[in-house]
Amino acid sequence: MVLIEIKNLSFTYANTEEPAIKNIDLTINEGEFVLLTGPSGCGKTTLCRCLNGLIPHFYNGEMEGDVIIDGLNTKEHPVYELAQKVGLVFQDPENQLVSLNVEKELAFAPENLGLPREEIRKRVEETLQLLKIEHLRHKAPYELSGGEQQRVAIASVLTLKPKILVLDEPTSNLDPKGAEQVLKTIKKLNEELNVTIILIEHRLDLILPYTSRVVLMDKGEIILDAPPYEAFCSSIPEEIGVDVPVSIKLYNELLKIGMKFNKVPLSTKDAAELLTEVLK
Amino acid sequence: MIEVADLWFTYPEGTIALRGVSLRIGDGESIAIMGENGAGKTTLVKHFNGLLKPQKGTVLIDGVDTREVSVAKLAKKVGLVFQNPDHQLFSSTVEEEVMFALKNLGFTSEEIKERTNWVLKFLDLEKYRERSPLSLSGGERKRVALASVLCVKPKILVLDEPTIGQDAKQKRKLGELLKKYQEEGNTVIVVTHDVEFASKYFKRIVVMAKGKVIADGPPNKVLTNPTILNESSLTPPQVAILSYEIAKKINNFPKDIVLFNDLLQEVITRVKR
Amino acid sequence: MSYTMFSAFEFKRKDTYIHNLDPRTKMFMTLIFMTVALLFTSIVPLLITFIATLIPVLLAKSVKEWLSSLKGTTMLLVFILVINSFVRDLNFAVAMVLRLIVLITAFSAFFLTTHPDDLAQALIQMKVPFDFAFALSMATRYVPTLAREAQTIMDAQMSRGLELQRGGLTQKIRNLIPLIIPLIVNSVRRAMSIAESLESRAFGAIKKRTYLYQLKLTKGDFLFLCFLIMYFVTMIYLKFYFPFTTWMEWKLPL
Ligand SMILES: Nc1ncnc2c1ncn2[C@@H]1O[C@H](COP(=O)(O)OP(=O)(O)OP(=O)(O)O)[C@@H](O)[C@H]1O
Ligand SMILES: Nc1ncnc2c1ncn2[C@@H]1O[C@H](COP(=O)(O)OP(=O)(O)OP(=O)(O)O)[C@@H](O)[C@H]1O
Ligand SMILES: [Mg+2]
Ligand SMILES: [Mg+2]
Repeated sequence: MVLIEIKNLSFTYANTEEPAIKNIDLTINEGEFVLLTGPSGCGKTTLCRCLNGLIPHFYNGEMEGDVIIDGLNTKEHPVYELAQKVGLVFQDPENQLVSLNVEKELAFAPENLGLPREEIRKRVEETLQLLKIEHLRHKAPYELSGGEQQRVAIASVLTLKPKILVLDEPTSNLDPKGAEQVLKTIKKLNEELNVTIILIEHRLDLILPYTSRVVLMDKGEIILDAPPYEAFCSSIPEEIGVDVPVSIKLYNELLKIGMKFNKVPLSTKDAAELLTEVLK
Repeated sequence: MIEVADLWFTYPEGTIALRGVSLRIGDGESIAIMGENGAGKTTLVKHFNGLLKPQKGTVLIDGVDTREVSVAKLAKKVGLVFQNPDHQLFSSTVEEEVMFALKNLGFTSEEIKERTNWVLKFLDLEKYRERSPLSLSGGERKRVALASVLCVKPKILVLDEPTIGQDAKQKRKLGELLKKYQEEGNTVIVVTHDVEFASKYFKRIVVMAKGKVIADGPPNKVLTNPTILNESSLTPPQVAILSYEIAKKINNFPKDIVLFNDLLQEVITRVKR
Repeated sequence: MSYTMFSAFEFKRKDTYIHNLDPRTKMFMTLIFMTVALLFTSIVPLLITFIATLIPVLLAKSVKEWLSSLKGTTMLLVFILVINSFVRDLNFAVAMVLRLIVLITAFSAFFLTTHPDDLAQALIQMKVPFDFAFALSMATRYVPTLAREAQTIMDAQMSRGLELQRGGLTQKIRNLIPLIIPLIVNSVRRAMSIAESLESRAFGAIKKRTYLYQLKLTKGDFLFLCFLIMYFVTMIYLKFYFPFTTWMEWKLPL
C-alpha cells in the first residue's frame, strides 16, 4: 500500500534564491525502511519537513508540487493532523524533550489532541514497554544518557501512533553504543509493528543491513533510488562523496582484481563470511 | 608538551567530571580522545588552555602550570575549537572572524594579514572571505570556526567533536588537513565519537570512562580490545570487526587490523598465494 | 558562578512529606509566611516565623540546598544590614535581615521541593491559561541549558584571546559583543528547533487539552493546611490582640 506520494515537489525558503529541493518524485510503501543520504546541504532535512506539513505550514517559502501522506494532501491538512501519520525525530534530543519527566514527555502529544485520560495512560504505558524505557519513567532529561534521551524522543512521537517515522540524523550526538541502541529500537519498530521508516544518516555502515531501499540526494535532487546492493555497486555514491561501507568497498576492490562473488556483502558480517569462504 | 598529573575536577553543582586523570602528550603527536557521553572529555580539554583550572593535581603546558597564566596567554600555544561553531561566530565577514583572535593576541598588522591569508587558503575558504559566517552552511561554518583558531598557528590544536554533522567528503578533507598540520610539527588532539575517523587519522587513542583514562595506545591495540570498548560505550571500527571475524575462522589471520588498506593487502596477498 | 545561583533554587527530586505535598498547598504556605513576615517589624516574632519556615526545609531534607541559596544572597543581606542601621537603628536592621531570610527560606521551601511541571499543572488547575503555564514550565526547563550555553560561548571566545576586563569603559562594553551575538543567534535557533518539535507533536491542536496527571489534595495536604492556618491565626492574634510591650518587643541589649 502506498503511504507517501511525492509528486514533482520543489521548495524555496523565503529570502533565498535557490530552491532547497527540486523536482522530487518519490513513492514509499507501507513497511519500507528507507535510508536517505547525501552530502551536507543537499536538502534532506528540507524534504523531511515536507512530510509532516512543517513545510508549507510552519516554514515560509515557495512550494510547488504535492505531498500526499496516506491520502492526505499536506497543503490541505494542518500539521497536527499529519503528525498523527508521520512522526518526526530530530538530531538534538535537548530540543525535543520539553518536560522534566519522561512520562509527561510521552503524554504531551496525545494531551494536545485532547484524548481521554485513560487512552493517554494506555498509550504511554504501551510505548514505555515497547521501547523498554519503563525504568526511566520519572527521570528528567539531564538524568539520562544520550542514547536514552533519543529513545525517549522517539517514544514521545510514537504516542501519536504514526504509521511513518522520519528520523533526521538521530544518532549524531551519541556515543557509538548509544547510537546502536537507538538504531536497534528503530529496526524493531519496523519489523514488529511494520512502521515505515525514513532515516537520514551519514554513517551508512550502521544502517545498511536494515534498509530495504537507499535514496541518494545531491544539490536538492534525488539522483539515485535503489536497493542497497544496487546503489553501492554504482559509482554514484563515491562521486558525490558519500561514504561507502567498508564491506562494499572491499568487495568492489576485490572485483577489480578479478575475483567473483555470488552476492554483495551489505554488512561486515556478510563480508566476513564471504571472505572466510574465499580464504579457506 | 602537555603533562596532566592526577587531575580532579568537580562542577559547582556537584558532578565529579574528572577523577584523577594523568596523561602526557608529547610534541607533534596526533591523538584522539574517545569515550561515552559524559565521560569528561570536554572537561579535560578545557584544562589544556586554562579555561578550567585544576582543583586537584596539575596541568603543565611546556612546563608552565596553567594556574599561573591567563587563558589569553595560553591561547597562543593551545588552540581550542569548540563543537558548535555557532558558539563562536559573530563577525560580519569571514575575514573579520578570523582576525578577531589575531587582534586579541596582539599580532602586528603585517602578521595579521599574512596569517589570515594563510589560514583562508589552508582551509579553502578564500571564496567566502567577504561573506557573513552566519549565512554559510553547517559544514562551512565549522571550517570558519576552525580557521578562527587555527590562524594563531597554535603548537597544540584541540578540536571537540569536529565531525558531527559532516558528510564523508568533508570528514575526509578535515582528516587530511589535520594530518598535514600535525606533520608540520604540531600536536593535534581531537575529541570524537567517530571510531572510523579516529582509527583512520590518529596514531594514539586515549579512552575515557567515568572521569578516568582507561586505555591509551595505538588504534589497533585499543579499538580492538573488547573489555576497553565495553567499558567506554565504543564499538570497533568496521575494518577491525572484519579482521576479527575472519581471524576466528582462518588460521593466523591478524585479528587487529584497523586500516582499510592493510586489510585489503592482507586479503590480496593471501588470495594470490 | 551564575550557574550556582540558578541551581540553588533548582528543584531536587526527593521522596519526603514536603516534596509530595500538592504545589497549591505549598503555594499557600509561602503566601502565609510572606504575609506574616511583612506584618512584623521586631525581632522576636520574626525569629518565631523564621523557625516556622525552617520546619518544612528540615522535613524536606533540603538544608544543604537551602543554605546554598542563602549563601547566594549574602551580599544583599549585608547591604540591607548596613543601610538600615545607618538609616534607622541596629534593631530594625537585624529585623529587616531576618525578614529577608524568612522570605528567601519560604521561597526556597517552595522551589526546592516543587517539580516545575507540577507547578505548571497546579497553575492550570487554578485556571491559569495553558499557554502561560506552559511558557513558565519551558522557561524553568531551559534556564540551566541556557546558562550552560552562555558559559560555553564565553569559553569559546576566551579561547580566542577575548579578555573581558581589558580596556576602558567603551572597550569593556564592546568586549561583550562576541558573547551577545552568539547568545542571541543560538537562542533563536534553539527556539526554532523547539517550536518545530512541538509543532510535530500536535501542539495547539485543540483548545481543550486533556492532562495525564491531575493534582488532588490528599489527607497530608489537609493536615499541613490545618497547621498553617493555626499558625497564621496565632500570629494574627499576637499582632493585633495580644497586650504586648513585654517580650515581643524585646530589643538587642545595646
Ligand atoms: N530555515 C531555513 N531558511 C533558509 N534556508 C534554509 C533553511 N533550512 C535550510 N536551508 C537551506 O536549504 C538547503 C538545504 O538544507 P537542508 O538543511 O535541507 O540540508 P541537509 O541535507 O539536511 O544538510 P545537512 O546534512 O547538513 O543536515 C541549504 O542550502 C540550506 O542552507
Ligand atoms: N558546565 C557544566 N556544569 C555542570 N556540569 C557539567 C558542565 N559541563 C559538563 N558537566 C557534567 O560533567 C560531566 C562530564 O561532562 P563532559 O562534557 O566533560 O563529557 P564529555 O565526555 O565531553 O561528553 P559528550 O561526549 O557528551 O560531549 C557530565 O556528567 C556533564 O553532565
Ligand atoms: Mg539536515
Ligand atoms: Mg563533550
